[in-house]
Amino acid sequence: MAKRIRKTAYVRCRGGSPMLEGIDRASLPRDCSAILKLYPDGISKCRYGCLGGGSCEAACHLAAIKVRPGGPPAVDNDKCVGCGLCARVCPQNLIEIILPDRNIQPKCSNRDSGKTAREACDNSCIACRICERECPAGAITVAEGKPVIDPAACICCGMCAVKCPRGVIRDSNGIMTAD
Amino acid sequence: MSTISYTFTVNGIERTTDEKKPLIRYLRDDLKLYSVKDGCSEGACGTCTIVVDGCAVKACVLTTDRAVGKNIITVEGLSLREKEAFVYAFGTAGSVQCGFCIPGMVMAGKALIDRNPDPTEDEIKKAIRGNICRCTGYKKIINGIRRAASILRGEEEVRQISQFTGKMMPEQNEFISVVGSNYDPERASGIENYENKGNSSQYGMGQNVFRIDVRKKVLGYGKYPDDIGPEYFVPVDRPDLIMEQTGWGEKEYADASAKGLIKPGKTIYMKEEPLVNICVAVDPEMPPMAYASAVRSQYPRAIVKKIIKEKAESLPGVLGVLTAADVPNNKVGHIQQDWDVMIAEGDTTRMVGDTICVVVAESPYILEQAKKAVKVEYEPLEPVRSISEARAEGAPKIHSGGNLCQTRHVTRGDAAKALAESAYTATASFTTPFTEHAFLEPECAVSFPYGDGVKILSTDQGAYDTRHEVAIMLGWEDCQERIVVENQLIGGGFGGKEDVTTQHLTALAALKYNRPVKMKFSRAESLRVHPKRHYMEGTFTVGCDENGILKGLDCEINFDTGAYASLCGPVLERACTHSVGPYNYHNTDIRGFGYYTNNPPAGAFRGFGVCQSQFALESLLNVLAKKVGISPWEIRYRNAIEPGLELPNGQIADVSTALKETLVAVKPYFDDAPEDRVGIACAMKNAGVGVGLPDKGRAELRIKDGLVWVFTAASDIGQGCQTVFLQDVAQATDLPITKIWIGNSNTENAPDSGTTSGSRQTLVTGEAVRGAALMLRKAMDEEGVNEDTLDKLEGRKFFYEYFEPTDKLGSDKPHPKSHIAYGFATNVAVLDAEGRVTDIYAAFDAGKVVNPLSMSGQIEGGVLMSMGYALTESWPLKDCVPTAKYGTLGLLRSTDIPELHAIHVEKDELLKASYGAKGVGEITSIPAAPAIAGAYYARDGVLRTKLPLENTYYTKSEKK
Repeated sequence: MAKRIRKTAYVRCRGGSPMLEGIDRASLPRDCSAILKLYPDGISKCRYGCLGGGSCEAACHLAAIKVRPGGPPAVDNDKCVGCGLCARVCPQNLIEIILPDRNIQPKCSNRDSGKTAREACDNSCIACRICERECPAGAITVAEGKPVIDPAACICCGMCAVKCPRGVIRDSNGIMTAD
Repeated sequence: MSTISYTFTVNGIERTTDEKKPLIRYLRDDLKLYSVKDGCSEGACGTCTIVVDGCAVKACVLTTDRAVGKNIITVEGLSLREKEAFVYAFGTAGSVQCGFCIPGMVMAGKALIDRNPDPTEDEIKKAIRGNICRCTGYKKIINGIRRAASILRGEEEVRQISQFTGKMMPEQNEFISVVGSNYDPERASGIENYENKGNSSQYGMGQNVFRIDVRKKVLGYGKYPDDIGPEYFVPVDRPDLIMEQTGWGEKEYADASAKGLIKPGKTIYMKEEPLVNICVAVDPEMPPMAYASAVRSQYPRAIVKKIIKEKAESLPGVLGVLTAADVPNNKVGHIQQDWDVMIAEGDTTRMVGDTICVVVAESPYILEQAKKAVKVEYEPLEPVRSISEARAEGAPKIHSGGNLCQTRHVTRGDAAKALAESAYTATASFTTPFTEHAFLEPECAVSFPYGDGVKILSTDQGAYDTRHEVAIMLGWEDCQERIVVENQLIGGGFGGKEDVTTQHLTALAALKYNRPVKMKFSRAESLRVHPKRHYMEGTFTVGCDENGILKGLDCEINFDTGAYASLCGPVLERACTHSVGPYNYHNTDIRGFGYYTNNPPAGAFRGFGVCQSQFALESLLNVLAKKVGISPWEIRYRNAIEPGLELPNGQIADVSTALKETLVAVKPYFDDAPEDRVGIACAMKNAGVGVGLPDKGRAELRIKDGLVWVFTAASDIGQGCQTVFLQDVAQATDLPITKIWIGNSNTENAPDSGTTSGSRQTLVTGEAVRGAALMLRKAMDEEGVNEDTLDKLEGRKFFYEYFEPTDKLGSDKPHPKSHIAYGFATNVAVLDAEGRVTDIYAAFDAGKVVNPLSMSGQIEGGVLMSMGYALTESWPLKDCVPTAKYGTLGLLRSTDIPELHAIHVEKDELLKASYGAKGVGEITSIPAAPAIAGAYYARDGVLRTKLPLENTYYTKSEKK
């Protein structure tokens, strides 16, 4: 029998958007939904990014996902079993459960394009569609301001990661980009 | 000047460059690591796969700046143990055909094995998912990687094999054997009185002989034209460069010099493998290699008003821009010379791949700049997009003779009457698409001044054909020998490398600038320029009696042959003559038309027109079977041709005919599969060009240095004909293969043995080799020579020409012989509950199976190609402009393959030529597509009349 292939959580945000003025991170609740209730437009210039409240970490039974100070959470692929609990509690829908060998992934969920997206964060997707054009396999479509990769068509060559002018698409093997 | 530099490790050596560029360019151009093949430079094909920090990575994607600090390994940097493991594993598993994908496969395999020493089949498939192979159907590559892993784990041994070849245990092949009657073909003279005494040769017929090209392809030191860099041309007065290229010491250099090997024009070969060229000595005055590339039309149909080339020509490093005015005779064409070498000012383009001018420059970088600097003024015209537009009244004439390029009318008996009297008839209109060959190696040639003419290092399917086309262009038809064409390794062809593409343009430039010139197509250019499989629109009506016995066929086949004829005539003819299928009925009315349009041209493609017409006919047979109330197997068996019966063209089916045997071979699988998930189809395909043409096989054996050298200009495009020739000689002479070398395909020293087309090399050239080998055997016997005393025959030559005449189409003989042989096949395709193809049982009658491993490799690859044709492949056009990239052609990947079961059907009664081998190259890609269509018909009762098939598991709507 074929082994069941373990999936893993993937966080589609690299952080990097400056906090909005007047918000003190230390005073925020340790619950992302609660943060969002207080600040419906988010806490940083990018309203789509990670809130850093640690809901995912709290939801994980295996201590496989950990919030990092000032940035989005890190996933420990050795511990993660891809159960999806973290994804369910993220109010920003930043976490996707994927196969770990799908090493080329976009790491941004910003839905704006052009200037708006550029100004929101140093690491934001600006929906320039270079990835869509450069993909040799026709696997990428930019939808809702961000790239969506069709896993059935993607061959993980990394061309999109190399060509992305914003460093949004990352190679988790650390070859085409730092992971 | 940039002060930034990038440092990384390549094969254990620290390297630094200050150029930011794709790593493939650095590895190939700077380090000359030619195992890193350039198949697309787009990230799609995987031929440049290398290992970076333990991961398999495409060298065309990674750039030098991103590689900083990383550890890079190419095939050249594998350990000796790894090299031997992969050579042995890939050789014994039959993983290597054209070889262009192989170094990439090896590196993908290495990355996997390093991580996971005992990978499962699924894990291997996943690991090579990014690597396309167009030849093998992946099965044997997967087996090769698994065997390499086993060797590297220490579980299997690399057995000492004699030089580059070796005998081994057969893979699991299934044979059935049937006795037929005697058959005595017309024979050419010279050997008929000499019995072949070598009947138990260790390396002869039926043996799984290790292909002769495995090592150089696996390790990447064999040369495709693109592996010829500027360093290949070494001035005779530079012993230092010659020694650097060859690895010779002072003494070896002195010896070679004394032997006269270091003279302008002399090619220097590897000592260990005397057929691998390392470099060529050139006159010290000869400037270094230049690079050429074509500026191509922006429009499928437009008047070229003005070509503004002055700016490009003024750029430093640009040698010049060639236009139609520089071409002595501005026409080429494989059969019909209708293809403009370049479109002259004032003339009208016919397709987007048309050459407007050719830029020649000192470096590839300057070349690209110069191409951009060429401005062309066009007056765009409305293009002719389709067959219907081409035949519309008042349609623009693409060629002066009009848009009807070729017609054929094949009739026998009275089809109209037979159909009127049939108990059941079935009619449908079918469309099949253009298909791209997608061979892994893009077109490339290097030409250089040679003697009083030019030498072309090529990758094509017929060195003499290329010579002829170039001679037409140069106006040298009466002195063709001034042109020497030498094929290098050929990275796949499938029919797509019959027409000239780069060869003539490099020859023109080399003569003009008196220096070596290289031209290589980008992948996008390759997709636009070389001829495809013809798009077909056809209407077929077939009728049978109440018992399902076929009575008549009426059909009209319309081909879109695009901008140029290429091989439209013969392809259309084969589509027509084979549209009746391998069945015993004799009322046919077949009308074929090939139309010019402004689409890229169509020409030869494995299956040669028969893929299209068999899909239509076999699909309709299923409809008739349903009406009659018999199974799709039964209707085929009831009508199947047998020895002694008339083929639908009147030719008497010869003794070797084994269609029924192929049907019997697949019956258990057909019967075992659920009725609503199984499809079946038969096919026949000619071997040899036939139809009255002087299709000759020629071979010359020469005894030199106590070895037998076999010379024939047959192109081994990956199918393995050179290994077949080796086996022919071994069988005839009983010589061990260490004593036999197969020379290169070269018009200067090998006789013309025709094109690699029409599944003819194994049979036609094979018979010539056998004939020459029997002459050698006779001489050995007469003079008491054995394998150790071959030098007694030193300098002797044994030439043999094989020609079996055939009758032209429309011959008034009662039983014309159209072709010297036909192969037959039956395939069964099985679906799972979701509609995925799980198994294909592919039984082929190819006469004598020369090399079972090679034969099943041909079958698996051809069948997978046919499955792609059926389900996933497309090469779409938008207003005559191709829109697909290599990665979106829908080529099946390793993770998509079903279980491919190759079944070899070998009868006891065989043809006498070539030990009874009939060839199998083309027929392999014919029956699987209609078999798959039949399975879907069984599943939902919907007759699908279009390829790729609609509403299947493989169409996006249904795919999860």
